[in-house]
Amino acid sequence: MQTPLSSPVPVLRLPRGPQGLSRGFAPDGRRAPLKPEVPEAPEAPAVHECQESQEQRARAVLRERYLRSLLAMVGRQVSFTLHEGVHVTAHFGATDVDVANFYVLQLQTPIGVQAEALLRCSDIIAYTFKL
Amino acid sequence: MAMRQTPLTCSGHTRPVVDLAFSGITPYGYFLISACKDGKPMLRQGDTGDWIGTFLGHKGAVWGATLNKDATKAATAAADFTAKVWDAVSGDELMTLAHKHIVKSVDFTQDSNYLLTAGQDKLLRIYDMNKPEAEPKEISGHTSGIKKALWCSDDKQILSADDKTVRLWDHATMTEVKSLSFNMSVSSMDYIPEGEILVITYGRSIAFHSAVSLEPIKSFETPATINSASLHPEKEFLVAGGEDFKLYKYDYNSGEELESYKGHFGPIHCVRFSPDGELYASGSEDGTLRLWQTVVGKTYGLWKCVLPEEDSGELAKPKINFPETTEEELEEIASENSDSIYSSTPEVKA
Repeated sequence: MQTPLSSPVPVLRLPRGPQGLSRGFAPDGRRAPLKPEVPEAPEAPAVHECQESQEQRARAVLRERYLRSLLAMVGRQVSFTLHEGVHVTAHFGATDVDVANFYVLQLQTPIGVQAEALLRCSDIIAYTFKL
Repeated sequence: MAMRQTPLTCSGHTRPVVDLAFSGITPYGYFLISACKDGKPMLRQGDTGDWIGTFLGHKGAVWGATLNKDATKAATAAADFTAKVWDAVSGDELMTLAHKHIVKSVDFTQDSNYLLTAGQDKLLRIYDMNKPEAEPKEISGHTSGIKKALWCSDDKQILSADDKTVRLWDHATMTEVKSLSFNMSVSSMDYIPEGEILVITYGRSIAFHSAVSLEPIKSFETPATINSASLHPEKEFLVAGGEDFKLYKYDYNSGEELESYKGHFGPIHCVRFSPDGELYASGSEDGTLRLWQTVVGKTYGLWKCVLPEEDSGELAKPKINFPETTEEELEEIASENSDSIYSSTPEVKA
């Protein structure tokens, strides 16, 4: 029996796809030995876990700080130091999800001003801006 | 309220997906390998479709792919005239087996000790996995390129299909036991060990034969040219897909067409049921793999059933006794999402 208003089965998320150019088979995704039923020493694993979660928390904090710094940069004048001693300035627009490219406006180059441009992050050595 | 099938699309391939295979059920779940014309076969978690890794190394289209029972090894057959054996845990290439023409099919024995390969050179080859340097045993007899070759009857026999014939060979004597002829091109062949059933598709027909005697059991006609069909492990349903881009589901006993699903944007090249029969995967010319539920609306893998808020009187109670396995499954699924949308654990109404 099908009612005309049948709804699609909900899903938790979509299947994960390939990660960039990696070939996968990540060591932490590999089939780890199955957890033993009885923990070997109750204290040792707890300490190990504590260190791991501390590190993970630190990483999360640093990542969040970096993302916020990118947000703060939007619309501001940024000076980029590129290879071969090249310096350019531009107004920062956006970055892509992998932080592989920066979208900038009014890029001042030695040969003129480019209204819009994409700077490859791999070409950037450093960048500074004033808050 | 009736639920509509939500297929899960697995992207990643850039060219048509021409073959796919599931592993057996392992302590880590089950796995899926897909062969693609882009030359990069991929390994995925079987119940979710999550990508695990890509086997890199082939220099041409990959026509066939398989996993051994415990998903520790993978084998692929390619247009670069080689078959390769891979470590399915690390993704590393273990062996490259040179052939004299395009290789189309690969199959491991149950114990993973032997690999059967077949292709355009019209030969069946048996490689000993423990002696990779040794020459394979060869069986000749086919008069056109072999599309598929499978071990059967407890690895004592071999089934092989070329354009117009399906042949049964004895492994020990390496001789032909029986053969079937068709006046139409055979598009696919699959084998179910439990019950020794052989599934053959040709034109718009899906035929079932005994894998032991090759005697016909039954056959169904479909609305479109079928490229692949798969029988459910419990032999209740079969699914098939072909040139009209649709997936068809039939009742195996009555032959009645139960459902048809649109979704793919190109002809379907391969269809397989998972080892537990809960889902089936389809690979298409459109470059995607799709996962489909056998029982639409059931909580499984990434599919999560939700009861409607207003009900006929049977409200979803927060504390219900569920069999242990279901609870564990739900917990596993819920843990992937930090904030669960669904507060109560639902029960599926058949």
